[in-house]
Amino acid sequence: MTSANQQLPIAPPVAGRILDAQVHLMDRQVLDHDGVPVTTVDDLEVSGPDLDAEIPPGTTAPVITALLTGAVLGTRIFGGRPPSSRLIRLPWKDVAEVGVVLRLGIKGEPLDASWVERWVRDKIIARIPGGRHDPR
Amino acid sequence: MKRILGVALGILTAIGGFVDIGDLVTNAVVGSRFGLSLVWVVAVGVLGICLFANMSGRVAAASGRATFEVIRERLGPRAGLANLSASFLINLMTVTAEIGGIALALQLASSVYYLLWIPVAALAVWFVIWRVRFSIMENVTGLVGLTLIVFAVALFLLKPDWGALAGQLVPTVPGQETIWTYSYYAIALFGAAMTPYEVFFFSSGAVEEGWTVKDLLQERTNVLVGFPLGGLLSVAIAACATVVLLPAGISVTSLSQVVLPVAEGAGKLGLAVVLVGIVAATFGAALETTLSSGYTLAQFFGWSWGKFRRPAEAARFHLAMIICLLVGIAVLATGVDPVLVTEYSVVFSAIALPLTYLPILIVANDPEYMREHVNGRAVNALGMVYLVIILVASIAAIPLMIVTGAGS
Repeated sequence: MTSANQQLPIAPPVAGRILDAQVHLMDRQVLDHDGVPVTTVDDLEVSGPDLDAEIPPGTTAPVITALLTGAVLGTRIFGGRPPSSRLIRLPWKDVAEVGVVLRLGIKGEPLDASWVERWVRDKIIARIPGGRHDPR
Repeated sequence: MKRILGVALGILTAIGGFVDIGDLVTNAVVGSRFGLSLVWVVAVGVLGICLFANMSGRVAAASGRATFEVIRERLGPRAGLANLSASFLINLMTVTAEIGGIALALQLASSVYYLLWIPVAALAVWFVIWRVRFSIMENVTGLVGLTLIVFAVALFLLKPDWGALAGQLVPTVPGQETIWTYSYYAIALFGAAMTPYEVFFFSSGAVEEGWTVKDLLQERTNVLVGFPLGGLLSVAIAACATVVLLPAGISVTSLSQVVLPVAEGAGKLGLAVVLVGIVAATFGAALETTLSSGYTLAQFFGWSWGKFRRPAEAARFHLAMIICLLVGIAVLATGVDPVLVTEYSVVFSAIALPLTYLPILIVANDPEYMREHVNGRAVNALGMVYLVIILVASIAAIPLMIVTGAGS
C-alpha cells in the first residue's frame, strides 16, 4: 500500500486492448475450439504476491494465470474460498480469443472442467436409446 | 416464395404458441368474473411481450447469445442465481401446470381419469424433446394450436349483443368485485401474457435455428404479427366466458368450464376442435417450458445445450429436463389441482419479471454485442416505461395475493 501523499508512478503505456476483468472476463461463456460450450468463467486466478504480503517496489505486475470453474462459483456467491487443490483451472495460455465469449484454442472434451458433463453422458444419457441420435 | 411461406409459418406458429394453460385459465376466470373490463391488460401485456421478445431475439441473432447467458453476465453470479432460482421454480410450476393441462384436456376427450394421463403426457413431452427436430416440433404444435380459433368462432355463433360487449371494454371494477381482486387479476393476466419462459424460449430458439441478422425481419414479423393475433385469441376466450359464464354466475375452477361456452356456441364439433386445440397448445407450452428449464440452467452454468446437438453432446441439459419432468409428475401425483397451480404460476411470473427484462434491455444497448443493431430511441423509451410497469406489478403481486386471499 502506498500512503496517501505519495505520488503513484504514471502507468506505462499499454499496447492493444484494455480488458476489465470484471466486465469482459468474469461470467462470460467459454467455448472450445469447435464452438462447444465448456463452462462459464466462475473466477480468475492471478499470479503475484499473497494477500496481505508486503509488495516491494519494482515487483512485476500480476498476470492472469487461469480461468477458474467448479466449486469456486459457490464460494464466490456465498463467500469463503475452496482449497487450491479443488479449483478447476483453464490455463490462460489456452485462451485463443476474448470477445463476447471466450474461445479456447483446444478441444473442451478432455478437460477437467468437462468431467461432470462426461460423467452424465457416459453413465446416463448415452445409455438411453437414441442418446447418440443426430437430430439433424 | 419460400421466404413468404417461412414468414407465414412463423406467424401462424406464434399465434398458436402464444396461448398456454395460463392464458386459457386466467382469461376464462377473468371473463367469468370481470367481463371484458380487464381486456386492456391483455393489450398492455401483448405489447410488452412483443417489445421484449423482439429485443431478446435481436440480441440472440446479432450476438449468438441467449437470454440467460446475458443475465448471468450482466447481473453477476449472485443476482443471476436469485433470478435463476425464481425463474426455474416458476418454470417448474408451469411445466407441472401444462402437463396437468394436457391430462385434463385428454380426460375431457376420453373420460379416462386425468391422473392416468399424466405419465403418458410427460413421456410424450420427453420423447419429442429427445428425438424430434426443433423446427418440426415448433411448427406442428403451433399449427395445431391454431384450432383454438374455435373460441372466436364460438363467440360469433353465440350471437352476443356486440354493443353491450364493446361497452364492457372500459376499465371499471364490476359491482360484486373489489378494487383489490380487480388489481390482483390484472397482475395475473399481465403475468400470463409476459411469462419469462417465453423470452428464454424465444431467444434460445433463435440460437437453435441459427438465426443471424439476416433473419431479423422475419423475426420481427413473427413477433409483431403473431403475438398480437395470439392476444386476440386470449380476448376471444375471455369474451366467450363473459357471454356464457358471467350471466350464469359460474366462476371458472376447472378446464371443463373453460370450454363450456364453445360447446354451447359451436356444439359437439366445436368441443372436439377446442379439445384438440387445448391439447396442442398445452403440449406445445409443456415443450417450451421444459426446454426453458434446461436452457436457463445450462446458460447460467455454461453447459453445452440445444436440441440441435445430439443428446449425448448436451448431457447435463437433457438430464436436467428429465428431472424437471419427473418432478412435475411427482407434484401432480399428489393430486394437486393443475388449474390452481396455473393460477399461482402466472402471478409468480409477474414477480420475477424485472430481473429478466432489465438485463435484456441493457444488453440490447451494448454495441459490443449488437454492433449497429442496438435499440433505437423509441424502443428504449418504451422499454423504460415497461420496466416501471413490470416493477410495479412485481412489487404489488405478493401483497395483493395476501389481501385478496389469492383472488377468492
